[in-house]
Amino acid sequence: MELTIGWLYPTLMSTYGDRGNVICLQRRCQWRGIGVKILPLDRETEADRLETVDVIVGGGAQDRQQEIVMRDLKGAKVERLRQKIEQGTPGVFTCGSPQLLGHYYEPALGEKIEGLGILDLVSKHPGFNARRCIGNVVFEITASPLAAELSAMLGEKPVVIGFENHGGRTYLNSTAPLGRVIQGYGNNGQDKTEGAFYRHAIATYSHGPLLPKNPFIADWLIQTALREKYQQEISLTKLDDTLARSAREALFKRLELTTAAKSA
Amino acid sequence: MQLADRVRLGLAVAAAKAVTAVVRGLRLGAASVLPGEIARRLHPRMLSLLCQQVKHGVILVVGTNGKTTTSLLLRTILEKSGYRVIHNETGANLLNGLITALLAETNVIGQLNRDFAILEVDENVLPLVLKACRPRFILGLNLFRDQLDRYGEVDTISKRWQDTIQPLPNDTVIVLNGDDPTLSFLGQQLPQKVLCFGLSEPELYLDAIPHAVDSIYCPSCGHLLDYAGVYLSHLGDYHCPNCGFHKSKPALDSQDWPQILIGVYNKYNTLAAGLVATEIGIATDLIFEAIKNFRAAFGRAEELTVQGKHIRILLSKNPVGMNETIRAVKQIQQSGQSSTTLIVLNDRIPDGTDVSWIWDVDTEPLMAGGGTLIVSGDRVFDMALRLNYSHCELDTNGKPEKLIIEADLEKAIATALALTPADKTLHILPTYSAMLEVRQVLTGRKIL
Ligand SMILES: [Zn+2]
Repeated sequence: MELTIGWLYPTLMSTYGDRGNVICLQRRCQWRGIGVKILPLDRETEADRLETVDVIVGGGAQDRQQEIVMRDLKGAKVERLRQKIEQGTPGVFTCGSPQLLGHYYEPALGEKIEGLGILDLVSKHPGFNARRCIGNVVFEITASPLAAELSAMLGEKPVVIGFENHGGRTYLNSTAPLGRVIQGYGNNGQDKTEGAFYRHAIATYSHGPLLPKNPFIADWLIQTALREKYQQEISLTKLDDTLARSAREALFKRLELTTAAKSA
Repeated sequence: MQLADRVRLGLAVAAAKAVTAVVRGLRLGAASVLPGEIARRLHPRMLSLLCQQVKHGVILVVGTNGKTTTSLLLRTILEKSGYRVIHNETGANLLNGLITALLAETNVIGQLNRDFAILEVDENVLPLVLKACRPRFILGLNLFRDQLDRYGEVDTISKRWQDTIQPLPNDTVIVLNGDDPTLSFLGQQLPQKVLCFGLSEPELYLDAIPHAVDSIYCPSCGHLLDYAGVYLSHLGDYHCPNCGFHKSKPALDSQDWPQILIGVYNKYNTLAAGLVATEIGIATDLIFEAIKNFRAAFGRAEELTVQGKHIRILLSKNPVGMNETIRAVKQIQQSGQSSTTLIVLNDRIPDGTDVSWIWDVDTEPLMAGGGTLIVSGDRVFDMALRLNYSHCELDTNGKPEKLIIEADLEKAIATALALTPADKTLHILPTYSAMLEVRQVLTGRKIL
């Protein structure tokens, strides 16, 4: 078995340790003896190469870098990416990436940046003087059927722990939220929604990075990618996640979130 | 200064000095910022009135990495030339810290009798400082992605700097790192006299651009920059193939210069201080002598001996800095002089509350072969997790060999010392607040 991780614009879109998501997927495959290749999807990559990708990872970008990405993501490349997501290729998109997948993003300075319109959401920066949404974020995954699948894997409700740092605010239209905020701002600091979920694509403001401290999401991505690729149910070898659990526990304790809140 | 101002200044200074005495007496530990904060409340123009009194002018030092080392070197050079210098040497670089440092050198009625003030200034606070202070020099060292949770983004900071420096008088001298595209571009937009320093030593080029890099795009047009070579992070020899933007010509030839301490970092710090000193009119042989005799500031490649063991502290507070300290540790390891490394990761305000940056650090060399690794700090498990994911293969118990996790810093240091053989060096890689704690444990006293 082998998976190819398609990494969207590794140098342009990797502002907040997002590389950690790629490292996490790569190692969790290697530790299980699953072959793994990392394919950087940058400006030099031909659109056709996207066809070979089994999991897509996208990170955050500064406004300037985001613009460069949007200028490059046009024509055949966008169509391939859209097809992949529509066909059910799993992916994780953090920080700037959800903004990119929506209809548009209005930065603090300069013109509105058109998005890919794959997710039915819009993002706006409320201006330089508005407070950035910064801090530890905790949310429960509620999107269907993801929440049920993760609960089955975990034996408890899936609670994500991460760090958010975004100037832009995201507002969902018809796309389902990824989860419900327990602590932090989430999409816009108002409606308690966090992220978005569509087909097998996970979009979230939570970095930290996301996957190492929430390894169940990494395993879900790997399992889904294998199922889509080989068209059969594949069960993954269990790994020792003691360190991730300790890191989570330490933060829950600091945030004074009780066990009840964790599985609220 | 008008009489009313002088009286009010005198009162504010007296009050602040009283507070300093009390704070020191009670060992409250906030003496590096609290007096300044109180004085500022008592007199809103405090910083301005203090800065005006510095005889030959104020030198502001800004940049992500190297402020303290560069300032210390510059101070040493100036003092050797017979000048009396004030410097906020504790690294307290917000407004209250600057005022506190200046206050410490005033007499009871607020008179300041000094030739130069070297003020390390926080990147984000520079615009505020420039409202109160007309500096003679602004020294810009570099702009790396650091503590984004506080500062927003590199582009935003450089834009703010440009907006606040532009209206300054034309005799302000701006000294910038020309190897940093963002700063080189900033210099090209300014009406003032701009001098650049940089390296011209292609033999020091890195093999590849490290991952922890985010400014390799043209600050003018956004096109990918074309690098002939990279010295460190995004610092190097570059030009833009699209709009013709290119690095500013350095005002001195780095090949002719000695350097302080170890590493490429300190080459830049040396050139930065050297260029300002040269511009002030200090003779080159005197500058070179100061460089040769320079000793490290605390936590910056500082060396200590505790319980007969040799220790080197290498401040590691962001991806670029930590990549460099890992590079140094690996080199020393390969020469057989080091076997134990202690990493201390905190996430307090001075460290930045977001620890995601550790995933931009290339920690793989640390895990590959040799030596004991110990981790500690507020975010000990996050660091351990990062190191664990630096391994391709998982050994049977799921944890990498020789990785010791100890949340309690005192115990972690004791373990690290015990595991370091007498003839070897213990390397400690702490974030900023962790460095202060480590020093306190090792020396038994608080420094701030
Ligand atoms: Zn250009």
